[in-house]
Amino acid sequence: MASTIGIMQALISIFIDDGDKLRCINAGQARITFLLRPPLYYVCVSSWGEPESVTRTHLEYLHLQILSIVTASQLRRIFERRTNFDLRRLLDGAESFLTSLLDELEFDLGISTSSLHCLKLELNLRKRIAETLVPTGKTKEMLYVMLTVEGRVVTLIRPRKRSIHPADIHILLNTIKSPSISNSQASASWIPVCLPKFNPSGFVNAYISFLRDEPIIDSSPSSSSTDSIKDGATEAREPSISLICISGTGDFDYVKDWCEGAIKKLAVDGSLRALTKSILSQQTEYTVAEVGVPGLRHFIYKSRSQVQITFPVFEDPYNNTNEKRRLITLYQTLHDAIHAKSGQSEPLKLQYIRTDTESALGWITQPFELYIAISPLLPKSAIIGAANAVVRWVKKEESRLFLRDAPIF
Amino acid sequence: MSKQYQFKLVLLGESAVGKSSLVLRFVKDQFDDYRESTIGAAFLTQTVTLDDQTTVKFEIWDTAGQERYKSLAPMYYRNANCAVVVYDITQSSSLEKARTWIRELQRQADPNIVIALCGNKTDLAARRQVSQEEAKKYAEEEGLMWAETSAKTGEGVTEVFTAIAKKLPLTASPAARPGAGARASPGARQGVDLNKQTTAQGQNEACNC
Repeated sequence: MASTIGIMQALISIFIDDGDKLRCINAGQARITFLLRPPLYYVCVSSWGEPESVTRTHLEYLHLQILSIVTASQLRRIFERRTNFDLRRLLDGAESFLTSLLDELEFDLGISTSSLHCLKLELNLRKRIAETLVPTGKTKEMLYVMLTVEGRVVTLIRPRKRSIHPADIHILLNTIKSPSISNSQASASWIPVCLPKFNPSGFVNAYISFLRDEPIIDSSPSSSSTDSIKDGATEAREPSISLICISGTGDFDYVKDWCEGAIKKLAVDGSLRALTKSILSQQTEYTVAEVGVPGLRHFIYKSRSQVQITFPVFEDPYNNTNEKRRLITLYQTLHDAIHAKSGQSEPLKLQYIRTDTESALGWITQPFELYIAISPLLPKSAIIGAANAVVRWVKKEESRLFLRDAPIF
Repeated sequence: MSKQYQFKLVLLGESAVGKSSLVLRFVKDQFDDYRESTIGAAFLTQTVTLDDQTTVKFEIWDTAGQERYKSLAPMYYRNANCAVVVYDITQSSSLEKARTWIRELQRQADPNIVIALCGNKTDLAARRQVSQEEAKKYAEEEGLMWAETSAKTGEGVTEVFTAIAKKLPLTASPAARPGAGARASPGARQGVDLNKQTTAQGQNEACNC
């Protein structure tokens, strides 16, 4: 390990001496990707064949997660004082955030597309839940209130003047998912967290409470099994609903009382029960068959104005890890080309890739981005037809698929 | 008429001495051989019945022992009625750390705070580095309660919390006693001003560390 790190450091400094930043080295099947975020260097060796921009995004997320634990200014100060500081000392106990992030990055389509993945839900139920969660009273204490199910957002309530960056949400979701929080027996956790896009040099406090009274255990693993849910890596874990309240000030007692009150209201007015029921009966998921487009295997639709994505569950053959990874790598390749993220000369409006296993299309327009996979046996014209049909279907279903008009305060 | 008390308890101590395990044993009578480090602080509650007439509800702050969370501790102990400072009997350095916490509590916390010093991991007595005499003597000098526990076997755990529960109603300020209003919790007792102070404190600490 020490010698590997020595080589990495030598490579980086050779390029820095030339006033250049080393981005990546292609070595046969493997690509070594570098990300410099002084005082830290991130390096990844990968042989999956994903675009360079994807690896860089993953490294960037590792950096954001580290910032969420120590803040950018704290990091800078420490390394200004001692250039040979052993960062592990500061991250002691927080390793699980990094390992769970590494698991998540591989398949997280929200992170891949810089957008939010919301839980599919009836418009009225989502609205009722959101209204209950609008802060009242000392609203100055509250920054964001978010209800999530298994890494998917049910609703997100924010002050009128503050939007929230998807990256900060992803970091929060990963933080909750980490076993130090999700396996905790506590009724609530209260953790200092830095949301790097909100403020890289300060902490806010996150109150995290799992609504465990209504365990959502799927007793029939038959049809769409748990590993077809987005969170493949943690299928053994009991799914849970969590309430996250971000407070900028740190009045724990107030935030706790407020959250407990809100949870009680959700239980009393039946919305918690209705939400649990929707999840159990898998109304919060959908399959490609429901979209009703012949030959369609899978897709991701991103609403650009909402900065949200929707996609069907990963079914056979994509419930197999290798197949799923292959499909996602294909999506990532299209995404990379459409946005010209790895140094291509210009972005594309449309890209079509045909492999032995599927035909895939990436398509960007003003309102949406679409990534779609169909059978490779179908002609090129079929994929255009399928793409249009998916867009029509999403339009029809969008009130359930996306979080729109969430209340602000 | 039955009496119900509600008290805030904070656990402090070096990382990996077994604070969370101690609480888990007390609250759920469970033990995990492998536990993830606590992040920030975890909040739990447990009620102890002293006799037919008296119950004590603990609101427990189980804090993270890592150094980077050190500056957040005042947010937790500021309003606490009692503190359990934990060390690991197989690590003499952890007793040193416990002494540091106790000095900080004596200086900064509520003067009426009840402090218990707790030597955990008696199931590992073969590797003992901290003698009972040494810890007990120190506790006596400082006027602390003292006990040894094993979160793993459960030995002594309930006893520590029960002993605190018995001592608290006698020493806590009158407002925390029953009959002092519907919300007789210490948090309510201290009211708005102190909360504000906590707020400011929390914010400063978060930015300065």
